[in-house]
Amino acid sequence: MIEVKNLGKNYGSCKAVKGVGFNVHNGEIVGLLGPNGAGKTTIMKILTGYLYPTFGTVMIDSKDVVDHANTIKAMIGYLPENSPLYTDLNVYEYLNFVADARHLVNEQRKERIQWVIDECGLKSVLYKNISELSKGFKQRAGLAQAMIHDPKILILDEPTTGLDPNQILDIRDLIKRMGKEKTTIISTHILQEVEAICNRVLILNEGEIVAQGTTEEIGKELKGEELLHLTLKVEDTGSVKQELVNCNNIEKVLVYEEQDKHRLKLKLSLKSHKDALEGIFDWTVSKGYKILAMVPEKISLEDIFIKLTREGGDNAR
Amino acid sequence: MLANILTITKKELKSYYNSPIAYIVKAVFLVFMSLWLFTVNQFIPRGIADLRIYFMMIPYVFIFFIPAITMRSWAEERKMGTEELLLTLPFKEYELVLGKFMAAFFLLVIMFCASLVLPVSLSALGDFEWGQIIAQYIGVILFGGACISVGLFVSSLSRNQIISFIFSALTLFLIIIISEVNRMIELPLVIGNFLNALSFNYHFEAFSRGLIDTRDIMYFVLVSGFFLYLNGKVLVFRKWL
Ligand SMILES: Nc1ncnc2c1ncn2[C@@H]1O[C@H](COP(=O)(O)OP(=O)(O)OP(=O)(O)O)[C@@H](O)[C@H]1O
Ligand SMILES: [Mg+2]
Repeated sequence: MIEVKNLGKNYGSCKAVKGVGFNVHNGEIVGLLGPNGAGKTTIMKILTGYLYPTFGTVMIDSKDVVDHANTIKAMIGYLPENSPLYTDLNVYEYLNFVADARHLVNEQRKERIQWVIDECGLKSVLYKNISELSKGFKQRAGLAQAMIHDPKILILDEPTTGLDPNQILDIRDLIKRMGKEKTTIISTHILQEVEAICNRVLILNEGEIVAQGTTEEIGKELKGEELLHLTLKVEDTGSVKQELVNCNNIEKVLVYEEQDKHRLKLKLSLKSHKDALEGIFDWTVSKGYKILAMVPEKISLEDIFIKLTREGGDNAR
Repeated sequence: MLANILTITKKELKSYYNSPIAYIVKAVFLVFMSLWLFTVNQFIPRGIADLRIYFMMIPYVFIFFIPAITMRSWAEERKMGTEELLLTLPFKEYELVLGKFMAAFFLLVIMFCASLVLPVSLSALGDFEWGQIIAQYIGVILFGGACISVGLFVSSLSRNQIISFIFSALTLFLIIIISEVNRMIELPLVIGNFLNALSFNYHFEAFSRGLIDTRDIMYFVLVSGFFLYLNGKVLVFRKWL
């Protein structure tokens, strides 16, 4: 559906995007994740035809976005960053303008306008001037605009910023539902959001893709590392420290906390073979320690994100 | 496509009329033109209805009023970020430009027609020449169209309404009065003719005297087309930045 090849964008001397490539398949929901200034918005602006790339190509439905701008614009619903709106219009006038621009007519037009009003919860502010809306309602009006023509492709730049928690859940739910038949790209800083709605993640840093795949894939690729929270009851805490170092299933002791004379709280990173966990269990038994708690921790997207974007930043410097 | 152009025009007009600017500009224009008429009228012997002097003033009035209409059209879109919306909706650049042009043009025509009620009703009392007033009217419309194109183009270069206003007014001022240089200093004929050919005022003069010359019509149409074309190019050029 969307093929991006070696895409780059320079703003004058600022290299905002440095040759990224990825594909988005039909019906996928892909999240663009990255710290401020990573180039997410820039990529979206190129996909939607607002900016031309400095180099590289974007093909949507096998058509180049620069050469077939209008055909492609008609397929896309786009929510730009900060949801720009015509502040002189009221919400209803605004939706009507977009419906006209999208060539909606007659019954379908009425239906679609009603649909977005319902889905985005705009009924109560329909005749309010947009300049008077709260940020959350502005965001909703922007979303309504993006979805009004039932586009094949949705490109949403930080769709849930400024919404209250209930609205965030509603909108995520909406995106997920819409995403079943559509190809969706969203950008976000919110890691749970990616985990909640995306099939796939692209992690960007300083204009480059530093990881892509499903959350689990990225986790594996990054490290076979697994974390373990372990609370032990031991005869004497003093002797354990050395034992830990000798244990060949442990990569590193991250936290070592003596809660009292007999109780130890540990956070361990395990060696990357699959029996490591079992090995730890056997080890504690063989040493005569009692396990009070043993909680393996999956590496969260958050950890990956921080790791990748921090490391990437260091490498670049 | 006409439907797309009209969509933009409609949106522009809604925006204009939802904000106070349209009304303020209109009111000031009407008051100003009425005062001007009043002044002119004092010097015209009663019974002779000649609006020529009244129309001679129009170019100078447009230097301020056209930029007031066009200053926000692109600058505001850029500032508010709505340009991004506009350029990612399935419009072609020329549709956007023409849509905005039509809206400003419509506003101008309305404003001007309203200002015409008074002088025409005054003239009706005296000897009233229809041919002349039609020529003057056509002249103002063409002239206004060209000014709007300049104003829109300048507006597309900035994200600040005030800067857009000042530069539009300056540009219009230059294009309008460049032929006056001829009157002030002795210039070689070629240069003099060249300046005349460039000047809005020179081409407007015949109209205000009641003469319709196709060359003048062509001039204003071409100038409008030229600046609208440039405006469209600015929109495309921006995508490369
Ligand atoms: N119009 C512009 N002119 C110059 N530089 C720009 C422009 N827009 C963006 N940049 C630069 O390009 C880089 C990428 O910006 P971009 O807006 O794509 O980041 P982002 O990932 O969307 O960030 P955020 O999470 O803050 O929205 C940044 O370094 C930014 O300063
Ligand atoms: Mg951004």
